[in-house]
Amino acid sequence: MSQRWSNLLVWAGTIAFIVLVSKAAWAGNPVNGTSLTNLVVLALPVAGIIAMSATGLVVVYTTTGVFNFAQGAIGMFLAYVDWELTVAHGLPQAVALPLVVLVIAPLLGIGLDRAIMRHLQGKQLVVQLMVTVGLLFAFVGLANMIWNQNNAHSMPQLFAGKGFHIGDVLLTWHRFITIMVAVALAIGLRILLVRTRIGIAMRAVVDNRDLAALEGARSSVLSSFAWALGCSVAALAGILIAPETADMSTTTLTFLILTAFAAAVVGRLRSLPLTYLGAIILALATQWMASFLRFSDRWTNVPDALPTIMLFIVLLLLPRAEVQFARIGQIRRVERVSSVRDTAIGLAAFVAFMAILTLFLSSSDPTNTNRLALGMCTALLALSLVPLTGWAGQVSLAPLAFAGIGAVAYTRLGGAHGSVWAVFLAALVTIPVGALFAFPAMRLQGLYLALATLAFAAMVEEVFYTQPFAVGPGERPVARLHLLGIDFSSPKSFLILVTVVFGLCGVGVVALRRSPFGRRLVALRDSEAASVTVGVNILETKLAVFALSAGIAGFAGAFYAMSFGTLNNAQGFQMIAGLPVVLALVIGGVGFVAGALFAGVFGFVTLFVQDNWHISLWIALFYLAPGLAVLGIIQNPSGAVVPIGEGFARLLPWRKDAKQEYEEMTAAAAEPEVGELGLERPFAESDVLLVDRELGISNDVPRPVAAARSS
Amino acid sequence: MTSMQAVPTPDATDDEVPILQLAAVRAGYGRIDVLHGIDLELRAGEVFALLGPNGAGKSTTLAVCSGQITPSTGGMFLCGRDVTGVAPDALARAGVCLIPEGRGIFPNLNVLENLRMATFTGHSFSQVLDLAFAQFPRLGERRKQTAGTLSGGEQQMLSMARALATEPAVLLIDELSMGLAPIIVEELYEHVRRIAASGLSILIVEQFAHEILGLADRAGIMLHGRLLHTGPPASIADELADAYLGAEHETPAAHPSQ
Repeated sequence: MSQRWSNLLVWAGTIAFIVLVSKAAWAGNPVNGTSLTNLVVLALPVAGIIAMSATGLVVVYTTTGVFNFAQGAIGMFLAYVDWELTVAHGLPQAVALPLVVLVIAPLLGIGLDRAIMRHLQGKQLVVQLMVTVGLLFAFVGLANMIWNQNNAHSMPQLFAGKGFHIGDVLLTWHRFITIMVAVALAIGLRILLVRTRIGIAMRAVVDNRDLAALEGARSSVLSSFAWALGCSVAALAGILIAPETADMSTTTLTFLILTAFAAAVVGRLRSLPLTYLGAIILALATQWMASFLRFSDRWTNVPDALPTIMLFIVLLLLPRAEVQFARIGQIRRVERVSSVRDTAIGLAAFVAFMAILTLFLSSSDPTNTNRLALGMCTALLALSLVPLTGWAGQVSLAPLAFAGIGAVAYTRLGGAHGSVWAVFLAALVTIPVGALFAFPAMRLQGLYLALATLAFAAMVEEVFYTQPFAVGPGERPVARLHLLGIDFSSPKSFLILVTVVFGLCGVGVVALRRSPFGRRLVALRDSEAASVTVGVNILETKLAVFALSAGIAGFAGAFYAMSFGTLNNAQGFQMIAGLPVVLALVIGGVGFVAGALFAGVFGFVTLFVQDNWHISLWIALFYLAPGLAVLGIIQNPSGAVVPIGEGFARLLPWRKDAKQEYEEMTAAAAEPEVGELGLERPFAESDVLLVDRELGISNDVPRPVAAARSS
Repeated sequence: MTSMQAVPTPDATDDEVPILQLAAVRAGYGRIDVLHGIDLELRAGEVFALLGPNGAGKSTTLAVCSGQITPSTGGMFLCGRDVTGVAPDALARAGVCLIPEGRGIFPNLNVLENLRMATFTGHSFSQVLDLAFAQFPRLGERRKQTAGTLSGGEQQMLSMARALATEPAVLLIDELSMGLAPIIVEELYEHVRRIAASGLSILIVEQFAHEILGLADRAGIMLHGRLLHTGPPASIADELADAYLGAEHETPAAHPSQ
């Protein structure tokens, strides 16, 4: 299909969608001058907030190449810091606001850059994304730990909610200031980026990072500056929006950022004017929905899904050529793929281990057995990303959404009485949905595809489960499998079943990786252009790998449903719950079956910790742990299972290659690290002076070049 | 050391510290070495032309000199100071300036903004502008134009202007002629000649020799990651054909058996 036609199709679909939704949900309020004025007055402050958040995203992304999922969480955290200063300690806002925005936020940004972000350059996209996702959880956890969410927090509006009327609507000074701050930010950034040297250098980095370094621009200074700026802007947005939210809920404040994602994508993550335009359109659309449309019943959650629906549409409307630059970073070291035989032996050993473990698990209290089974479901789900993200390089943040669809399919298609066929039907239902994703994946690459999957996950959560044909209101019973005359309803037998299924899928996936198809996946990841030139059909390959991944996820979903025992629409398949699965897989190693197993163990441990220590500190740690694990990712971007596996392989007598490789690696590590400014010692100011004097270019001695030219 | 001292140039004295020196540099990409032990001296005020066929390691040598690649062994010295492993931005501020292969410009910035990027090496913006527009008046006429929309020759001029405006101690030029019409190349080399006459030390890489042998003080031929001959341009011209056509040399190891 040609580019023009597919664009036309998306536009037509979008317009039809908007018209249909507006018609179906029309609340009957009159559309006239007054109501439209009200609409604009209410929308503009929202637009201001969205624009501010999106600006922070864009500035950081263009300068450093890192898309900051934690932008909203940082804003939330700093808004709480401001709350602490003003409400809890009685500091006037006139002191606290500048203190937070101009001192604390930039310091936080510089700290983040130095400690974490600087080490992310050139890493795989999924690693970069998951580090910021981990950071998001860490900030939420930290905030929950410091500011107990059982107590109400509220921040007063500036000027105590006073304001003036435009039409029927009171425009409070607070909201007026919000609009003004957004405008001032736009002007200020314009001046920064066009008039100042550091701003020009930030734009230069977008064009050509290496050349900017050759010009003598310090990339470390630029990235620290960008992060400082990003955090300041996040703080501004957070503090200004906090009084508008009920009780300053940490998660609400954090996920307001989703709308900003959409606005930033309108600006293609680089144009600030377009980002502002996107923010205004999004705010108007949101307000239009709030003022004129009513959703009830099965569509109740549509307004909540609006930001992600808009994000999805905006992504589909992106022209193809524009997204080429957001490609997956170079992978330095190709992961070692173990042979099918080794994998089979390893996984058989694991199944045997699990079987022996069940002998020691309590029969009267199945809690731990159930947690282990849930952990194995997580492992199976994580396995669905190994071919897709690990090998084909297509980042998906929606594995749990596919699992959710699979769970629903299993439940509705015979799972209520434990039919074996329902498990396969669950996979069959998710396969076409996954394959559908191959089409946007043809247009979208890297980060944009990841955002599209995120939007998809949120849409599934808000709109799909509430449908009567899915789950709807109320609960649906789910039965565990009967297979070959065996009933797997007891916790222990179910645990063994899931473990065996994981083992079989793991062997199958590795066999696939060793086949021509697997090599095609890796070729696709390394270079799409090169794959095309050697005759790989990109669409076919992407279709296949998305279908495969969705199938495994759907399969996992069926087992999740069995594990839960009943299905209701508030259950565990939320977009936000899917992110830790991806995060755990990345920590374990996104290209490895063992990485998926790691994710399962990680899931079990967090469940265990969460349930066993009902102290708020530990609940907070449930969030904080993935955040801390971020530091582990930076140490070892290919995954934790690599050093573990290598250490193990070295001990095996028949793995001489592993031993040799280890010796080479340690020899390489023994070479001194090249620091930013020198090999053995920093290239200090005094060195520059010395060189200058040697070259005759210090101030007192005229330079030969200048002298000759002026003569 | 190498053949370098076998053919001393008249103006070189033994106690003179070379402005830029590579000593036994081995370097490359990842585990693959491209340079197999390069010894090279650039003396103050001279123009050194580095010639050689495709894949000889010329650009890699410049990448080492500008700090983009760290030598795996060997060292790099600026006025006798060890600067091995110093980052490119630090080297740039110390006065080593590279005009990279292709167009060394920021296409989405305008001419003025591109020149603004030259101020990181310590010159004021007005100084940079004066120097740049004095050398290349045509850039002055197009100061508000987005650099990506300039013609190929003008882009290369901008690249040179930005480099020169920093008043570097060492100028590294990589394949100035790449992708440009001969008449424009000639014009650009006219500028290089003027710069050379002003006494700047220049290390210039070219694949096509005749353009620069005329203005070089010394030249060297690279082949298979080694510097084979250095000497006055006249003596190099004879060796050049052999190097390009693959005749036998004193380093047979460099030639894989056919």
